[in-house]
Amino acid sequence: MTRTVNETDRMVVVRVFDAPRELVWKAWTDPKYVMQWWGPKGFTAPVCKMDFRVGGKFLCCMRAPDGQEFWNGGEYHEIVPHEKIVSSMYFSDSKGNKVEPEAYGIEHEAIEGAYDVTLFEDFGNGQTKLTFIGNEPMESAKNSGQLEGWNQILDKIAAVVAELAQAK
Amino acid sequence: MIERLSHGPASVHGLTEPFALSQQMISKHIATLVRARIVIKTKRGRESVCTLRPEAIKKVSDWAVYYRRFWEESLDKLDVVVNQMKKTEVRDDKNS
Repeated sequence: MTRTVNETDRMVVVRVFDAPRELVWKAWTDPKYVMQWWGPKGFTAPVCKMDFRVGGKFLCCMRAPDGQEFWNGGEYHEIVPHEKIVSSMYFSDSKGNKVEPEAYGIEHEAIEGAYDVTLFEDFGNGQTKLTFIGNEPMESAKNSGQLEGWNQILDKIAAVVAELAQAK
Repeated sequence: MIERLSHGPASVHGLTEPFALSQQMISKHIATLVRARIVIKTKRGRESVCTLRPEAIKKVSDWAVYYRRFWEESLDKLDVVVNQMKKTEVRDDKNS
């Protein structure tokens, strides 16, 4: 896999939730729930609009403890239900128009063509692993999660092989 | 100047000393920082004292730090939301 974005620019956050995958997916994709968790500690999210479909956009506002509001817009580029989301995110005004992060006092050299990948993995024991990969170039964003897919296929093949072996 | 102020409040005179600039130039510079809401200027007797706004330090942060913090702390909150949803759904199942 080729990496065009510097390693240090990418960010991976992994969490295991003690809840089934459908529930974690719902909490991630329904604005009613996103409003409850969007933003760092102490921040609230008074507005969250999501047009959750490929090509659809989202617009969320978070309010800092001192009252300052930060608006973020973004777009969904790939959606595999209950498994994977490829999206982009940028700073915006309250109408969803892109603004420079400097407008919010954040220093950020824009990484062109960077996407965020969210992966949902069912552990099968009522737990769900969520992997958030930030700043992925599209080429690797497309491929993210395929490794896990392959592992699942290999497990299935192994099970079939085991069954065949028993039937002999 | 922000570096100096990060160690604590300082008078305009005290801020001028380390720089090879006139007090007039320094005052201009300070006025810009005040307008940008990075520095607070207060009068103490005959002297003006400059203080760095604590929120300003937090805001002018590196993107990578901000981005990670955003997601780490959002996911902390997501964990609470998911657990709440789980309880609600169990209750709904019992009611139906």
